[in-house]
Amino acid sequence: MVAGQSIVGLFRDNVGGWRTTLILGFLAALIVVIPVGGFPLGRWLISINANFSIPLTALVFSKVWENASHIRLLDRKAFLGSCIFGLTAGLALYPMALGLGRFDPYKFGWSFSLLFVLLMVITVILVFVKNRFGIVLVACILGYDLGLLESPNLWDYLVDPFFALISGVMIGGLLIREIRSKKSLSHSVSWATRAEGSMR
Amino acid sequence: MWRYLSAFDHEPVTFAVFSPSAPEDNDPPHMAEEFISNDPGLAMVHVGSICEMADGSLVASWYGGTREGARDTAIYLAVRAPGESMSWSRPRVIVNRGSASKELHRFVKKVGNSIIFTDSEDRLWLIYVTITMGGWSGSSLNVKISHDGGTTWTRSQRLTLSPFLNVSELVRNNPLPMKGGGFIIPIYHECAGKFPEILWIWGGQGDQRITFRKTRMAGGRSFIQPSVVACGSGVARAFYRSCSGDRVVAMATTGDTGAAWSEPQNLELPNPDSALNALLLSEGRILLAFNDSKQTRNNLRLAISHDGGATWGRVAEIENSPGQEFSYPYLIRSLDGRIHLVYTWRRKRIKHVVFNETWINAQIEKASK
Repeated sequence: MVAGQSIVGLFRDNVGGWRTTLILGFLAALIVVIPVGGFPLGRWLISINANFSIPLTALVFSKVWENASHIRLLDRKAFLGSCIFGLTAGLALYPMALGLGRFDPYKFGWSFSLLFVLLMVITVILVFVKNRFGIVLVACILGYDLGLLESPNLWDYLVDPFFALISGVMIGGLLIREIRSKKSLSHSVSWATRAEGSMR
Repeated sequence: MWRYLSAFDHEPVTFAVFSPSAPEDNDPPHMAEEFISNDPGLAMVHVGSICEMADGSLVASWYGGTREGARDTAIYLAVRAPGESMSWSRPRVIVNRGSASKELHRFVKKVGNSIIFTDSEDRLWLIYVTITMGGWSGSSLNVKISHDGGTTWTRSQRLTLSPFLNVSELVRNNPLPMKGGGFIIPIYHECAGKFPEILWIWGGQGDQRITFRKTRMAGGRSFIQPSVVACGSGVARAFYRSCSGDRVVAMATTGDTGAAWSEPQNLELPNPDSALNALLLSEGRILLAFNDSKQTRNNLRLAISHDGGATWGRVAEIENSPGQEFSYPYLIRSLDGRIHLVYTWRRKRIKHVVFNETWINAQIEKASK
């Protein structure tokens, strides 16, 4: 859907509107059931990754909603919060889960553990500072409690490899932009200082 | 949140230990051999496992196809009714990539290792490997249950055990039953790291959901395919296949029913990066079936330990033929006290060897002379 909206954006100033979104939704549903090699395309995706995490689903839904209605469900603060969360969780989980060292952080997701306490603390802080990513974390806890995903492990509700990767790319992009803007700012400041000096 | 907090209610688990009694004096030595997979039509068979039903019949599973990892591999099952004169039934397919794809609602490239076992309600459990992408390191585990001795099976259920696309979880050796139900199943991971793990699995009765979790036994890239022997209610020993340059069997112990394991320690027995299997005998002795070489799988021997696995003595040679492969042993003890060994015979057949402890004791005596 987001990709479809981006393609529409190449041809029109306004990527969204409910009509366009409904047409794209219908097309997306059609693509999912197109048989490829005897399997619907959607099942190929499930074959590789059974479920996406709740935060990634929330980010994608928020983007689609924003394009359709021009209302931001997850504002910039929430978006940044989710990217920092996704990258941190991914870095904490995947290297060790694949065998880096003897410690396995994935074990904390099977039953009550420090992970749950940490998640509660982060959620409460985010809700308290009115960061909407806190609502997404509440949805993770509810989703886990209802057993919405195939996995019975809390970690899989919080992060998936795609979310961690996207978060890394986003944070990397933000950092590069920040460094570039700082550089151009210091460049323009030094240029202004030099110009001021030569005027004297 | 409730689901999470309810984990507090779990009773502390312990092993259901079946301490075998010593053989009676009038029990003569017994040893017999036969092939389970009599159909030589398959180009390759591998990774056999066996279990006993409540009526004394034996059930075996393995996989076969044109070659290891081929797309036409399927998991086969054969049954042997109780009684000396009975023979193994004609093998039949219980899972192939088509049926697994249909039941799991996803693409399955091929099927692989399986283990078969019974629970206290005489239901058969099959835990088996499917691969969606790549080789063995892209494996995932699935479970099926039969309520009628293997005639019909429930739909396969995927076990999500790894956070990274649920890949690289494999199974090989015997499960250990827990008191109060459920099993502790040794499994292993072999993508990036190569390490042994424990799968804890419960449920499956009636409409009850299967629940599970996983813990790690060791890290690194050196040990896989743990074979675990329960020696007490919370005490067990694990024997590992070696993937390191040391090429020796390693051992670890647990004192808390498998929650935490000691660092693996190398034993004196060689291991050519091949599966092994251990079984508890009477008087706390441990029997090990293994390839007695650092390089090849061309022999299969039995060794016994009287001191909980610290030292070993070789007691019998089951196979030895240069240039051939005899591998992936799997041992169980049936209710009549006999020990059943199944293994891959030249990759062409699954062989079944049955013996009793008196025969082992006779082999020990013979070896000491």
